[in-house]
Amino acid sequence: MEYLSKLIPVMLMGTTLTLKLFFCTLVLALPLGVVFAVARLSRFKILNVFMQIYIWIFRGTPLLLQLFFIYFGLGIVGLQLDRFPAALLAFVLNYSAYLAEIYRSGIQSIDLGQREAADVLGLTRLQTLTQIILPQMFKRVLPPISNEVINLIKDTALVYAIGMSELLRVAKTAAVRDFSFTPFIVAAIFYLLMTAGIQQFFKWLEGKYDYYH
Amino acid sequence: MYMLQAIDVYKRFHKLEVLKGISLQVARGEVIAIIGPSGSGKSTFLRCLNRLETVDKGYIEIQGEVMVQNGPDNQAQYSDEKNIARLRRKMGMVFQDFNLFPHRSVLENLMLAPVLVQNIEKEQAEHNARALLEKVGLAYKADNYPFELSGGQQQRVAIARALAMNPEIMCFDEPTSALDPELTGEVLRVMKNLAEEKMTMIVVTHEIGFAKEVADRVIFMDEGLIVEQGSAQQVLLNPQHERTQAFLGNVLMAR
Repeated sequence: MEYLSKLIPVMLMGTTLTLKLFFCTLVLALPLGVVFAVARLSRFKILNVFMQIYIWIFRGTPLLLQLFFIYFGLGIVGLQLDRFPAALLAFVLNYSAYLAEIYRSGIQSIDLGQREAADVLGLTRLQTLTQIILPQMFKRVLPPISNEVINLIKDTALVYAIGMSELLRVAKTAAVRDFSFTPFIVAAIFYLLMTAGIQQFFKWLEGKYDYYH
Repeated sequence: MYMLQAIDVYKRFHKLEVLKGISLQVARGEVIAIIGPSGSGKSTFLRCLNRLETVDKGYIEIQGEVMVQNGPDNQAQYSDEKNIARLRRKMGMVFQDFNLFPHRSVLENLMLAPVLVQNIEKEQAEHNARALLEKVGLAYKADNYPFELSGGQQQRVAIARALAMNPEIMCFDEPTSALDPELTGEVLRVMKNLAEEKMTMIVVTHEIGFAKEVADRVIFMDEGLIVEQGSAQQVLLNPQHERTQAFLGNVLMAR
């Protein structure tokens, strides 16, 4: 018990970093994914192809490798970022790519008739997108988005590879130092509490969108 | 001046020629029913009139203003986007599957375009919307969402939504085809009321009864061509062309 009371404050510190990275990534990647999805569906060939390549690269390589490229690789060419901005950049670029594909599938699942109805009523393309397509898209993509968000909270553990003291690294350090398995159990409970929170949030959000079918 | 004039309109989808030279003049207040077997091109023709489909060749004008005409290469050349947008606003469109916006209430469905496109004040738009809902008998559904309505009610809302833009011409693309038979009556009644108010209407339909009762002119299309046209009496009761006779025979047999 005494051990726990010493361990938990340290692990909460790690959790703070985990949550900071988590929320910063979401705040940037959730909207950026929409922009990328729309660009991916653009009629402008260059933009469209550029997005395809971007998505291919960031879905096609491990997030850990991207983290190394951005933290160590950019350093080699003289663009050394601090750990947190480097981690954030890697996570935002990676998650935006996945989210863009989810949004794209959502946009494409909206019946063509919706566009045509907006079109004959005289709405511009932008109005159709923001008033008709995107609001309906969000409802449809909530389940896959909640998957990604849960993945994200776990993926934040990867930043320990560039020496950041997030939750899992703190747990591992304590476990090795104290020759105890308890920190891992505490870490598992922390992750489960956070994912439970995310699940509840998405349940609430789906409920908010339940006013129409 | 015609409300709408189309001359020699051609349209193909890849190798399939859907419209093989269709011409149509519509006078103000005229109600035109276009009938014909599926695949005859009647819906495509209607969709070409408001540029939901682009034509390959041909001429279309709305109230004397050119939307598309043949260029020097004898291919369709459209007017500029701004002009087309203005001309399209003169036309209301009602679809087979209603295409109401499911995430917006009935009232919001009617208010959306007037507010966004015509920049009408919200209060005014709501006032107009409620009046239109009254007209189609659905004032009490203003705050419901489309999924809470029957098909017939949804289609009446869709008609009201199109009317909210004050169109000069109303186009209907098989407005009752997606409805259970017992729900077609309420939609046809609303359309009949519109016709009595002298709205110019072009109706692609399978409802021979409606065509007979309401249409000033009936057009029978088959394989991308107008085979026969004339008053409802002529075309429906005394068809001259054997394809019209065969079609009407099949339709009436099915009843």
